[in-house]
Amino acid sequence: MAPISWHSVDLSLDECIKCNICTSHCPVSAVTDLFPGPKYVGPQAQRFREGDQAITPDHSVDYCSGCRVCNEVCPTGVKIAEMNARARADMVAKQGLPLRNRLLGRNELLGKAGSFAPALANFAMHNPFSRFMAEKVMGIARAAPLPTWSTSGTFGDWVKRTRGQRLRSAKKVVYYHGCATMYYEPFIGKAAVAVFEHNGYEVIVPEQNCCGLPLLSNGEFGAARNYHQGNVGKLTGFARAGLPIVGTSTSCTLTLKEEAPELLDMHDEAATTLKMATYDIFEWLYELHEAGEFRTDFRSMPMKLPYHAPCQQRAHRVGKPALALMALIPDLELPESHARCCGIAGTYGYKVEKYQIAMDVGAELFDFVEAQGSDVAYTACDSETCRWQLEHGVDLPSRHPIEILAAAYGLYDLARRDLTTG
Amino acid sequence: MKKLATDILVIGGGSTGAGVAWDAALRGFRVVLVEKRDLTHGTTGRYHGLLHSGGRYAVKDPQSAIECIEENRILRRTHTHCIEDTSGFFVVTPEDEGDFPDRFQAGCATVGIPCEEVPLKEALRREPLLNPRISRVFEVPDGSADSFLATHVTVQAARQAGAQICVYHEVVGLLTEGSDGARRVTGARVRDVVTGEELVVEAMLTINASGAWAGQIAALADIPVRVIPGKGVMVAVNHRLVNTVINRCKMPADGDILVPVHTVAVIGTTDERVADPEMLNIEPWEVALMLAEGDKLVPGLSQSRILRAWAGVRPLYQENYTGDSRDATRALALLDHQQRDGVAGFLTITGGKWTTFRLMAEKTMDKACAQLGVDRPCRTAETPVPGVEQGYYWVGHRLHEVETERLQGDLVCECELVTRSMLEQAAANNPTVTLDDLRRDVRLGMGPCQGGFCTFRAAGILQELRMRTEETAPSNRAARPEEPAWSVAHMQSPRHAMHQQPATLAAGRSPLDNPNLLLRDFLQERWRGVTPVLWGRQLKQERLDELIYLGIMNIDHLPPDDDASPLTEFWQFDTTPGAGSEETT
Amino acid sequence: MLDLLIIGAGLAGLTAALRAVEAGLRVKIIAKGMGSLYWATGAIDVLGYLGGEERAVASPWERLAELDAGHPYRTLGDTRVRGAIDWFQQHIEPSGLGYRSADAHNLLTPSPAGAWRPTYLAPAGQRAGAATDDRPMVIVGFQGVRDFFPHLITRNLSAQGQVVRAALLPWSVLSEQRDRNNAQLAECVDDVHTQQRLVDALKLVVKPGERIGLPAILGRHAHAQALAHLQQGLKTDVFEIPTLPPSAPGIRLATALRQALEQRGVRVEIGMEAIGFHAEDGVIQWVETETSARPLKHRAHAFLLATGGVLGGGFNSTPAGRFWEVIFDLPLTVPQDRRQWFRPLFLDARGQPAFHGGVAVNAALQPVDATGDAIYANLWAAGSLLAHADPILERSLEGVAIASGVAAAEAVKTKSTAAVATMER
Repeated sequence: MAPISWHSVDLSLDECIKCNICTSHCPVSAVTDLFPGPKYVGPQAQRFREGDQAITPDHSVDYCSGCRVCNEVCPTGVKIAEMNARARADMVAKQGLPLRNRLLGRNELLGKAGSFAPALANFAMHNPFSRFMAEKVMGIARAAPLPTWSTSGTFGDWVKRTRGQRLRSAKKVVYYHGCATMYYEPFIGKAAVAVFEHNGYEVIVPEQNCCGLPLLSNGEFGAARNYHQGNVGKLTGFARAGLPIVGTSTSCTLTLKEEAPELLDMHDEAATTLKMATYDIFEWLYELHEAGEFRTDFRSMPMKLPYHAPCQQRAHRVGKPALALMALIPDLELPESHARCCGIAGTYGYKVEKYQIAMDVGAELFDFVEAQGSDVAYTACDSETCRWQLEHGVDLPSRHPIEILAAAYGLYDLARRDLTTG
Repeated sequence: MKKLATDILVIGGGSTGAGVAWDAALRGFRVVLVEKRDLTHGTTGRYHGLLHSGGRYAVKDPQSAIECIEENRILRRTHTHCIEDTSGFFVVTPEDEGDFPDRFQAGCATVGIPCEEVPLKEALRREPLLNPRISRVFEVPDGSADSFLATHVTVQAARQAGAQICVYHEVVGLLTEGSDGARRVTGARVRDVVTGEELVVEAMLTINASGAWAGQIAALADIPVRVIPGKGVMVAVNHRLVNTVINRCKMPADGDILVPVHTVAVIGTTDERVADPEMLNIEPWEVALMLAEGDKLVPGLSQSRILRAWAGVRPLYQENYTGDSRDATRALALLDHQQRDGVAGFLTITGGKWTTFRLMAEKTMDKACAQLGVDRPCRTAETPVPGVEQGYYWVGHRLHEVETERLQGDLVCECELVTRSMLEQAAANNPTVTLDDLRRDVRLGMGPCQGGFCTFRAAGILQELRMRTEETAPSNRAARPEEPAWSVAHMQSPRHAMHQQPATLAAGRSPLDNPNLLLRDFLQERWRGVTPVLWGRQLKQERLDELIYLGIMNIDHLPPDDDASPLTEFWQFDTTPGAGSEETT
Repeated sequence: MLDLLIIGAGLAGLTAALRAVEAGLRVKIIAKGMGSLYWATGAIDVLGYLGGEERAVASPWERLAELDAGHPYRTLGDTRVRGAIDWFQQHIEPSGLGYRSADAHNLLTPSPAGAWRPTYLAPAGQRAGAATDDRPMVIVGFQGVRDFFPHLITRNLSAQGQVVRAALLPWSVLSEQRDRNNAQLAECVDDVHTQQRLVDALKLVVKPGERIGLPAILGRHAHAQALAHLQQGLKTDVFEIPTLPPSAPGIRLATALRQALEQRGVRVEIGMEAIGFHAEDGVIQWVETETSARPLKHRAHAFLLATGGVLGGGFNSTPAGRFWEVIFDLPLTVPQDRRQWFRPLFLDARGQPAFHGGVAVNAALQPVDATGDAIYANLWAAGSLLAHADPILERSLEGVAIASGVAAAEAVKTKSTAAVATMER
């Protein structure tokens, strides 16, 4: 069992008044009996778990997708999702972990491995035969929306290549790109750099690790601790120097801010310094806007763009700053999704036993997008895995709001997903 | 008037009475046990749940310590499923100075209690919330016990050996014959408190096992027995802060034990002399003291959510004793009234502690055999009660069974994972008059919401069960037993309940007739236990319970009736701070 | 900048926001979680019982004057209270939930324990259960449903002279999934196939002339349609009996209000717990909410505290007897001595003193100190945190929320209009 302390999320079970609001909103228990609901596996089951139990009394906690809708709606402040994550980690510690989950937890390693020969990796990963085999052998759902490696080099390659073209300024931000931008979607990083620079900020791209979230959500706390310690070592110096650490992957920034310290019970000074300096990109841009320093020289963008604030973004509890800033773009119509979750929840929907659950959960979002009519060209969402799921569910390209901003500044081509300057 | 003739009449349905009935029945006597309320309604059902290793008495009272460790070993065999093998720590906090730890170790060695010093790091690994400033930790074979279940299965074992069990039967008089100096108790006049009917039980020997009430019973035969009711206050924390029993390594005092029992941790206890074993006020200072002492074992305990507080009364007996009750002996007291008062046919067994209930019963029945002039050896130490094959209880067992059998949709009490079939089986299988009886059977309403959701559900389910029984019974009288089957050994198992035949309530006037009374009584019973600790989060929970029962249910405006259960008045007794306490002028 | 930041998404906060946006204010709601409507019956109680009387109040409008002088209804006066309830009724009408009173009187509908409970505005889904209706009833439950027991209801209604019988249908009529709470069952009934299964099963149960009582699970999103489907299919009236939380009728009302707000451009931000504030010269500048890292500042010209009392999380208390309001540390009228908080009986008709106290306010619903002066120039309060009332005991929970929510929004509007006028002068 992960060590318990008075800081830890486990003890927030005391806040529960059994009202079942969380269960009434849980997108997973709404579609399957396999998950008895957040209150059940969270504050309720927690009273029946103890450290040295020989048998893990319940496994259904593994069906928690970790979407955190329960935390969001809970009127009393129980950290249900985190409690479930810790219970899962305890289970993993006792029973071990299937190879599949080990693999899915190692986003960074996979990213790196595939990037040596991305075209080959994409073929190896995405042809029907290997997907069939991956499902049979490892339990990775054959239809699940796995990412593709960037064939135009990693984001790191681009940063190196364009070092000479980068803006120098007294105002600086540290950019946390995360694994997805590094290996699969370098264009998100380019869009972010363009927006930072357009607003007069020099971008520092330091060495960094995977945030560890895939490991945390698969219950591998030991490995996740190493990653987080790595990031604390690599990034806290910038935080101490007063620089903000800003990320485009909303789940990575959430992990640096809260998930890693809370789940791993890491509340030392360095981890806390990093936490307090980390921003989701739209959270940071919105602060810029409130200070009157955000540029609004947008071009007109006459289109309808359904926006889904993903669970991970909502879990920051900073409102929906992306929606507020995109609303400044002339002629952009932004229908707002109130869907609870797209279903994918990181790596949850990749697993063969959970794929259909994830699709059923996502139906609410897919229906919302489809109800917007046929003149919709893109959807927008802050999280990479959610965008992949959205594209899988509704067959429309999905974009990060930072791509939308960059495009509205005239710096980015939404269709090609590349900077207009090259 | 109905008459019963028996060899042994046992008065009192706590652990001692149940033990005596069991022991006597195994020795081949005809036995009748009478208890004025539900089994364990008195002290047995109001203790902290510690299965002593004897460590607590190793220095102060070696004789008690020896009894404890011997009984500890026996009960682990005879009542395995009623025990959780938690182990126990004796911890030396910064306030516990002096040579006590060394004397403790020596004491344990002398009386044969396995005791090992645990490295601090290891102790804190096992119990991370333990006070990091403790300096030494000793481990002993303490455990925690479910005294409700233990007593119920002991009674089931007694009944299987031929004993007759009459709960909700109050002794209203002792039958005596002969004149002063040669008097003899020949049984008791007993009143069924549900129906009001009286019954005479004639017995060769009457055993007064009524604990703190022993003086009141003896007085019915004009025998003076002075039992000091020593009130102990206990406070339950919402969840198990520790998984090992934690004792302070010092002379026994207030608030020095923290016991993980089922889903909660219980901190206990105080020791106050009270006038009446039924007048159990809980004063704010007593709760405050428990929390302050609890903080010394687990810093922060006082800030965590407190579920409930209750008080039990120890039956402390000491001939001619007038001092502080903590210093009265905890040893058992077996009074041979023939020798002591010249009254034959009557024994009183009191004092002692839960851990030694079997031994108390053995000694009592040895004396009884001697008085009756028969030689029948005690068999309880070698005879497991029904259900021991389940092995030690463990905290996750309900969660595990609900999970593997997929019973989540059948939960009635969500906090304590009580399924509908558990509730129905418990109601059908042992006499049930109030929802509080079902609480003791299956832990209904014992979790964080303190009956907020399950009181209504239980009342509704029992109403359905009663209707169902009435609909099916007329055509099938044989299927409806006169008396509940007393099958209780597995009543805490969701899986077991699921596989039983559908429950049928026993025939005769059902005390469960009035669901409104069930509701009102249980809500009042729960209210009594929460008011001493209502603040913060538990107060919020209580307000939700009010919203449910007043706002949604409107139960304060149900159709009027004058019904009262045998316990209505007991639960309505004013126990708010300051009320009913002895006037000191 | 916002004109008004409302803290709390219960009925008081939602109503105040709707009234404020109607008055032209820029308004936003922040709340820690989903509000208290999820726990309530979905009906609008205005005043059900008075002074421990056994009989329910016949018409709230004839009895308001008998309340304690400090009661929020007395503070606002009969006219404003009634005006607010009427306003609410009009503004909830587009939701299709069909809230009506019985000719400005309370009506009595069955509780899940089988008591007649008084309420003022009942939604269409509950009105056919009224005690004044002389048709017999059949109360239909489902085997294994956790929170609904027709035999219990029937026993108690019968004892009060209602002609009523109980019936149970199999669970499978509702769902293939076994583990469903009331809100989830209501979602099952959103499906027309489930509705049709219900119609088919109920046809076999209902006798001519009977109205049908069901647990309140007739749709979460498609309630009006579900109710119509059942009534048309069965050719009789169907009514819901709201039971334990989570409450589908309460969720429907909350959803309807949130949608009305969203249509008017008001954001309701959930998952935001207010943890602090900053004031200068008695004027609140901002309120801070907890986030995944740094506190988030919410600036506004005016602030409305609608966090509820003990249950909503607006108040906290300690074993030492401290009882306080958690965001602004406003003084409460609750006795600061724990021995005075409770009475020995749970069902004491006078209620529990701990729940009677709250935030004392002036006529404009601004929290005041002991001398009666407003504590902050731009802070208002509404809902069940107000002092001198025990809305759960009085069955005035929704009425107090609506009346004070509307009045607080109007007071904010009046003050902001006055401020603009001053500036213009």
